[in-house]
Order: sequence, then C-alpha cells, then structure tokens
Amino acid sequence: MSDLVVRCQSVSRTYQDDSVPVRALVNVDFEVHRGEFVSLAGPSGSGKSTLLNVIGGLDRPDEGTVEVDGVLLNELSESALSDLRLERMGFVFQAYNLIPVLSALENVEFIMQLQGVPAAERHSRSTAMLDELGLTGMADRRPGEMSGGQQQRVAVARAIVTHPVLLLADEPSANLDSKTTEELLKLLRRLNEEQGVTIVTATHDPLVMSYAKRQVRLRDGEIIEDSAHDEAA
Amino acid sequence: MPINLLLQLSVRNLFRHKRRNLMLLLAITVAVAGVVVTNSLIRGMQFDMREAAVANLTGHIKVLAPGYLDDPNIEKSFSLDADWQPEVPAEAIEGWAPRIRIPAVIMSERETRGVQFVGVDPSREGISFLGDVAIEGEGLADAADGRVLVGAELARQLETVVGRRLVLITQGLDGRNREAGFRIAGTYDAEGTGLEKQFVFTGVEALQSLVEAEVVTEVSIKLKDEKSEASIKETLTGFFTGLEVMNWQELEPQAAAMFVYVDSAIFIWFLVIMGALIFGLVNTLITAVMERIKEFGMLRAVGMKSGAVIVQVVLESTVIMLVGVAVGVVIGWLLTTQWLGDGIDLTAWAQGIELAGMRSVLTPHLLMQDIILVTVMSLFFGVLAALYPAWRAVKIKPLEALRR
Repeated sequence: MSDLVVRCQSVSRTYQDDSVPVRALVNVDFEVHRGEFVSLAGPSGSGKSTLLNVIGGLDRPDEGTVEVDGVLLNELSESALSDLRLERMGFVFQAYNLIPVLSALENVEFIMQLQGVPAAERHSRSTAMLDELGLTGMADRRPGEMSGGQQQRVAVARAIVTHPVLLLADEPSANLDSKTTEELLKLLRRLNEEQGVTIVTATHDPLVMSYAKRQVRLRDGEIIEDSAHDEAA
Repeated sequence: MPINLLLQLSVRNLFRHKRRNLMLLLAITVAVAGVVVTNSLIRGMQFDMREAAVANLTGHIKVLAPGYLDDPNIEKSFSLDADWQPEVPAEAIEGWAPRIRIPAVIMSERETRGVQFVGVDPSREGISFLGDVAIEGEGLADAADGRVLVGAELARQLETVVGRRLVLITQGLDGRNREAGFRIAGTYDAEGTGLEKQFVFTGVEALQSLVEAEVVTEVSIKLKDEKSEASIKETLTGFFTGLEVMNWQELEPQAAAMFVYVDSAIFIWFLVIMGALIFGLVNTLITAVMERIKEFGMLRAVGMKSGAVIVQVVLESTVIMLVGVAVGVVIGWLLTTQWLGDGIDLTAWAQGIELAGMRSVLTPHLLMQDIILVTVMSLFFGVLAALYPAWRAVKIKPLEALRR
C-alpha cells in the first residue's frame, strides 16, 4: 500500500466569474502522506477551498492530474467519483450539513447505510463513535435540538465512522466559537494521532492551523509556503 | 440501493412541511374520491343502458328468422319443435321466452295507432321489462289469454280504459289482413312512456290463432352470467340451424357502442382530473427539492448516487399519492355505498334520460376494476409527477449547492 494518499501534479483551475476568468489554482503540485494532518491556509480567493474540492472529486481541474489513494480522479465518471467519495473519503462541511429529519445516531449511520453496512454493525459503530466524541445521550436528538459544536461533532462522527482514507474538512470552525473550535481541533488531532486518520482542512483560522502538523499556505492559486518542505530544507 | 433509508427519509421529509403536504394530500384525496364517485355513477348509467337494452324484449341473445331485423313481419317467423330448447348449462340461463312480435294497427273508438303486437307466455316474461312493470287491472293469465295488455300512455292516447275493447289489425302468414277485437285486461306502467306507446301484449297462442300459424318470430334468452354469452351463443347457433342467433350488442348496436364509449369516458375523465392534479404535485415537489438544494448537494457530495436521489424524490411523491389514494378510495367508497347507495332520483328529467336508455333512478355501480384503475394510475401519475423534480435534484451540482 502506497504511503501517498493525495498527489496533485500541475493542477490548474480557472473559473468564469461574470465572464471574467479567475485563476483559482495555478500549476499546483501537492502531496499528502498517510497519517498527515494538513491545513490549507490563505486569504479568501487564495484557492484553498478549490484545492480541497479538487482533491475531494467535487471539482475537476482544467489541467493537471489528481490522485487519491492511488486512483486517478481525472479519468473517473461522476458515478465512479461518487463511489470513491462514499468508500474512501469523509467530509466535514462548514455548515455541518446534517440531515435535519434524522437523529444524531441516524446521521452518523447514514453513510454506512449507503455503503450497505449491516444494521447491527452500523448501530454499534455509530453508538461507539458518538460516545467517543462526547455525544453520549445525544443519539436521539435531531440537529435542530443540538448546539453548533454538537452538530459539528456529529458531522465529524459521520465522516470518520466509515474509516475513510482521507478526511476533508472545509472551514470546520467557521460557525463555532473559540472554545468549541478548540474542542473540535483536539478531537481531530486525537483522531489523527490515535487512529491515524489523514486529515486535510481548508481554513483561514490561525487556531486550526496551529493544530495541524503541516501548514500549507496559498495565495492567488499558488502554494507559497509548505511547512513540510521547510522542515525538509 | 438502500430503499429502507430512502423511504425513511422520504416519509420524514413529508412531515417537514406539514401544512403544505396536508393541502396536497387533501387535493389528492378529494380528486380520487371524486373520481371514484363519478366513475360509479357513470358505471351506473352504463349498466342502466345495458339493462334497459337487454330488458327491452331483447335479452342477451335472441334467435330470429333471417331477415326479420330488416323487415319484421309474420313471414319472417319460424316454428318450434316440442323439444326446442337446446342443452345448455341451466345455471347459465335465467330464462327463455319465445314470442311473436309483429307490426299492427290498434284502434279504439276514438284513435288509431301503429304498435308492435307481441304474443307472449306471461310465465316466461320475468326476463323482460314486462316482469317488473306496475299493472292497473289484470295482467295476462297465460299463453292462451286472448285479452291485451297495453301501455298506460297508449291507453291515454287511445282514450280508452281497462275493460274496454280494442281492435287490432295485422297480417297473417298468408299475407292477408287479420282483424280481431281484444278486451283490455290491464294497462302497464313502464319507466318512461316509450315502451308504453310501442308494445301491446297478448297471449302467444292467442296471437298464433289470429295469424293462423303456430309460429314465433323470436326466442329471447337472458343469461345469469354474461361471461358465458359467447359459448351459449355458439351452442344456440349450432342448434337453431337456418336461423340467426344474435347477441344484444348486435341487436342494439347503439347501446353497445355507448357501453364501449363509457369505458373510454371513464378513462378520459380520470386523465383529466389527475392531469390537473399532477401540476400541483409537480409544483410542490419542485418547491420541496429547491428548498433542499444544499441537502441534496451534501448527499451527492458524500457519495449518494443519482439513482438514489431520483428514488428518494419519487418515493416522496409515491408515498403522499399512496396515502391520498387510499383515503380517497375509502371516502369514495363510503359516499357511493352509504350516501348514494339508494341511487339518485332523476324523475324530474325522466323524458330526457329515457332517450338515453336510462332509468329514472341512477344507482351507482362501484367496480373493483375501476378502483384498481384509479389506484394504479394514480401511483403511476405520482411517479410521473416526480420525474421532473427528481431530474432537477440530480442536476444539482454538489459544489454549487454546498456554496449556497
């Protein structure tokens, strides 16, 4: 099994914004190894979210190649990309994006249901995950009955309960206060250190960056700083 | 595809907007109940027309001499042997009625009319309208009864009453006119005046004496089970060689055509109602999809297949349609059997509805096949209505949806 989880080579992506081309990524070369906790940082429009989306198969590059866990994403159909996201990736979104009509437990079980995991196994894994993330007693609550921090923890539980190869988190702390953000980051770090979950997060929050083992800074679609390279140097 | 999960999501999503979906459910229920009730009334009208056609001395099957339909007279008659009834399953036949039915002129002291003079065996006429009519005076006693039974309307036109004598002129088998006086045994009151003006009855043996021939012009057969019509007709055709054996559709083509037309009318009526309803359903589903763009984006982002998204939207439509149809059918059934069970009295329009071959009381007739049609087609429409909203949901790009 390769140690490389993400490999982006010469990735470029240009958007049309009111007919004006905006270069979101310019010839980006980027790699993530198994077990890394990487933060993609930069100001708005720097390309961090675009890079995260390209890695997650939610967006396609105009040029260059993207490989995740040895699979070349450029050649995959939408359906195959969908399968790849389902089986190998976990997503944590800025706005939690839990399903409002499902309870916390059902939200955590949701992706496993899509994967076809048997009910008993789903239930035990989800319950254990909620307990592990400090959500004991919240299993039957719906998202509307929980705080933002609790919802984000449910979102994290949903993303990692399937043991994904890669956890992608886009501005996970954007809607949280600093105390809840810190709790979330401790949780992500623990998952990274104890369970070896590979995490890539896009953020402009210095606190999030400080918790990541590797910081990558982007500006105008280019990587201008990568702590991994700096350490190697 | 995790159908249980999708079904669970669909049902719960319906409860997210209770008022809106309740209104939609109400619309479906009213439409389905309305279709069930109107279908049952249309069926009632349809069966009325058929019953009237069959009871109007036609029967389900009739044996006639060749050419009688084109030129009905005593020359187009035939004689019956002593064992004239073929062997057919007794449980399939309600009754047989041999008759002479010939044109005649009827005269009272004041008026003259043209009529159909019908010689019958009263004991066999339970299969025709004659078995149901109200009689003032007396009915015919037997096949040898030489009195006449005239319609109440004809008696009024002839300005005569029960007990008086009438003169009837008709043609004998030898081509010469026969004329005889008949005392009025009674007057009959059929539904509407058409039959009353048309038919004058006497005993079949009495009429045979008048025309001086032991013949009949028709044998009418009424069936208990119409499904056996084809096989019985085939048996009769083989038995009555040289004669024409015709079913009621051939004898009453206009009524038969109406019968078929009503089948189509029911289907068209259903399409019109459900067609109108489908716009409301599509609109509601599109609104539901558009409100949940971000949610659908997330579902697609985490790996839900487009097929599953389609199934989820279709299930939402199907579930609400299923509930609406079930409630609508039950309400429609209750309205049909409880409220309209005794029929709708149309006496005020008796003359008009008589022309359409209907009775003055319209009794609804609820058929299982119509309920199945409504149920199956409603569910089909439910799926159809969901396809466009489902397509809209599938076209949602996860990235764009999540950015909202």
